[in-house]
Amino acid sequence: MIEFYPQIRLVHIAAVFASGGLFFLRGAGVQLGAQWPMVAPLRYLSYTIDTVLLTAALMLASLLHQYPFVHAWLTVKVLLLVVYIVLGMFALRRGRTRMARLGCWVLALLVYALIVSVARTHHPLGLLHRWAG
Amino acid sequence: MDSSRRLWLGLAALLIASFGVLLFMGGEIHRKAPPMPERVLGSNGTLIYSQADIQKGRQVWQSMGGMQLGSIWGHGSYVAPDWSADWLHREATAVLDGWAQREASAESYAALSAERQAALRGRLEARMRLNTWDAATSTITLDEDRAAAIVAVAGHYRSLFGNDPATAALREAYAMKNDTVPDADNRHALTAFFWWTAWAATTNRPGKNITYTNNWPGEPLVGNRPPATTYLWSAFSVLFLIAGIALLGWHHAVTHGRSQEPQQLPATDPLALVRVTPSMRATAKYFWVVLALFLVQILLGAITAHYQIEGQQLYGVELSQVLPYSLTRTWHTQLAVLWIATAWLGTGLYIAPAISGHEPRFQRLGVNFLWVCLLVIVVGAFAGQWYAVMQKLGLEYNFWFGHQGWEYADIGRFWQWFLFIGLMLWLVLMGRALWPAIRRGDESRSIVGLLFLSTVAIGVFYGAGLMWGEHTSLSMVEYWRWWLVHLWVEGFFEVFATAVIAFLFTRLGLLQAKTATIAVLFATIVFMAGGVLGTLHHLYFAGTPTAVLALGASFSALEVVPLAYIGFEAYHTWKLGHATSWMARYRWPIMFFVAVAFWNLVGAGLFGFLINPPLSLYYMQGLNLTPLHGHTALFGVYGMLGIGLVLFCLRGLKPGLVWNEGLLRTSFWSLNIGLALMGLLTLLPIGTMQLLAAIDHGYWYARSADFMQKPIVELLVWMRVPGDVIFSIGAVAFTWFVMRLWMAPRHEAQLPQGSRAAEK
Repeated sequence: MIEFYPQIRLVHIAAVFASGGLFFLRGAGVQLGAQWPMVAPLRYLSYTIDTVLLTAALMLASLLHQYPFVHAWLTVKVLLLVVYIVLGMFALRRGRTRMARLGCWVLALLVYALIVSVARTHHPLGLLHRWAG
Repeated sequence: MDSSRRLWLGLAALLIASFGVLLFMGGEIHRKAPPMPERVLGSNGTLIYSQADIQKGRQVWQSMGGMQLGSIWGHGSYVAPDWSADWLHREATAVLDGWAQREASAESYAALSAERQAALRGRLEARMRLNTWDAATSTITLDEDRAAAIVAVAGHYRSLFGNDPATAALREAYAMKNDTVPDADNRHALTAFFWWTAWAATTNRPGKNITYTNNWPGEPLVGNRPPATTYLWSAFSVLFLIAGIALLGWHHAVTHGRSQEPQQLPATDPLALVRVTPSMRATAKYFWVVLALFLVQILLGAITAHYQIEGQQLYGVELSQVLPYSLTRTWHTQLAVLWIATAWLGTGLYIAPAISGHEPRFQRLGVNFLWVCLLVIVVGAFAGQWYAVMQKLGLEYNFWFGHQGWEYADIGRFWQWFLFIGLMLWLVLMGRALWPAIRRGDESRSIVGLLFLSTVAIGVFYGAGLMWGEHTSLSMVEYWRWWLVHLWVEGFFEVFATAVIAFLFTRLGLLQAKTATIAVLFATIVFMAGGVLGTLHHLYFAGTPTAVLALGASFSALEVVPLAYIGFEAYHTWKLGHATSWMARYRWPIMFFVAVAFWNLVGAGLFGFLINPPLSLYYMQGLNLTPLHGHTALFGVYGMLGIGLVLFCLRGLKPGLVWNEGLLRTSFWSLNIGLALMGLLTLLPIGTMQLLAAIDHGYWYARSADFMQKPIVELLVWMRVPGDVIFSIGAVAFTWFVMRLWMAPRHEAQLPQGSRAAEK
């Protein structure tokens, strides 16, 4: 199935940006006190993008024989993903105070950026590895 | 004579006649099964295979998972090939290549001109279809060319089922673990069994121009093409279907609204007043087990599907060495039946004392004891299967304690007996709790009796799984296996589903017992009219005579007739769900019952009939169109029913609690959408592509590694992920919902005044 690798990679990257972009916008809306970020169509759109993202990610792992809990950079990506999801839940819904939601939103975006940099460099530290020596 | 009595008599007559014919056909299948030779000789008298080799080979095949790794005569799993079709094609090709090399000095048959190929094919067809079985000496004699081809093909299989690097890529493509059969003698015996199934598939019955398997599988090299009877009975089956739909439509037009007397609806929920007895409370653990088994089943399903991509691994883990495909698939299919059955057993045990208002002595002890037995059976049977598939058990004990290899009847005979005794215990527990209600003789008596009879049938008909022995002919094993599987899912399960839903509505005071009884009795007659003899539609190509094909096609088409009208039932159910304000308490069980009706139409009716006519099944058997029907019908109908029944019981088991509507909504829609996506994105398109390949090139090609490893096929397999993820979310949401009823219950009394009205 390696024939489809470029297309699958493209779908994966597009879904990464769509997912992150949507989270950024919804998080910003929540910080401004708007109701629209939590409306059903947007939530379902988010679920759909994330399902596509996950599917493409699993396909790439299988195609390239690079697996979480076998290869360090993918392990870090999966663990950071869990952190990102938890922070995202608190940023959009579960955070009790406005400050808590804001803090979680900013942290989630930072974690998102770190995930992207880990993916770009194929290194557990992402772009940070340049400073870590 | 009142209509209820007339219907009872009609049902009795129908069942006597149907089972009479079914048993007679069993006798015919036994008499006309492909022969098992004492010896298979080459024309120079050398022994190729003995009967002991073939029978031992079958035991080896069963011990490694049987139908759970590839298939025989089209029955089994879908990643590895159909071994009968694969052997047949390899043997035919080997003979042709031998002739091409000897007679035309060509490299292979493929290198010859079309004209020369046609000449060799003609000779091959005559040789392969010639029946050389001598009943007097119980001997099959083969010419030297075939004998040489058998040696070559057997060598390939010995390599494949061992650890030979030469066939490593093929093992991975077939999702086989290395050293599937480590013992060389056992591998040799296995080749004898595969050869025998291919021989039956390509050899004409004595005096006829049709093979023992009704020319299945399609193989152009040996002239295996659909016989005329498949066309004939396919056309007639459609005719019978249309006639059945017309007749039932007429009946509906005549009787619709005839006995609809206005019903005084209760002001409050009658079931809320039911006293929950200790034995009813004890059924809660059945429902916890249902959830655990359901989640494990989904996990095993995901692993099984993944094996289609990475044949021996799971994301970098060498899983096949400890949990190979044949085991994950075995447990996946078995757990489906087990959790659904557990849900029904629990429901039966819950509602029986509720119906009669009588708690027999030691009933709770019986409920608890049965639950422990079920756990022992699941753990014991699965452990035996692991030892069998890992080839650690030995053939001597495999039949009784290991893996029988027959799909849906895989557990060892000891565990089958244990389960049968467990089901009898369940019947005793049900019967003694229901007895006062049956004796009362009020107007509910008939529907209670029908409900009880369907549970008796479910229990007793498991006994069909005990009818074959270790060396019973393959055709007869298939006959009894489908008694068990078909008569359960397309007979008594349907009756139970119809009866239990109608019964619950009568207990809720929404339906009059008399009206419900007549409706359920009539539905039972309609279901069983097609259902009993419809069993034969699984046996078209299982070494059976043509009469099986004719009867199976005709009666199984009638099974679809009631499903064409299931929209009436769905709407009726939905309407009853809105009959009173307090029915909002049962909104989600009702929604699951509506889903039962929907999937009965789509999964059982449409996707079932798609593969049902003999001509369709000739090509579609064992392709991905089969699991399309299997998943959407088994989970869609009986899985959804199981969940609906669990919810109904939970209303009584945990009274006065507020249900988390969000979790139930997520669960309901995720399960339904996930199931639909699984079918539409993967199983239907791959199955359709396979169908075209089978028609164009022969059945073997549609099941081959070359076809199944095409990039587009692998891409479609990956398309299962979205549907499976959504489906899993539904299952987790449902589990979380149930767990919260015990771990974090919210009582209605805790609600603010305004919000309680919505719940009620």
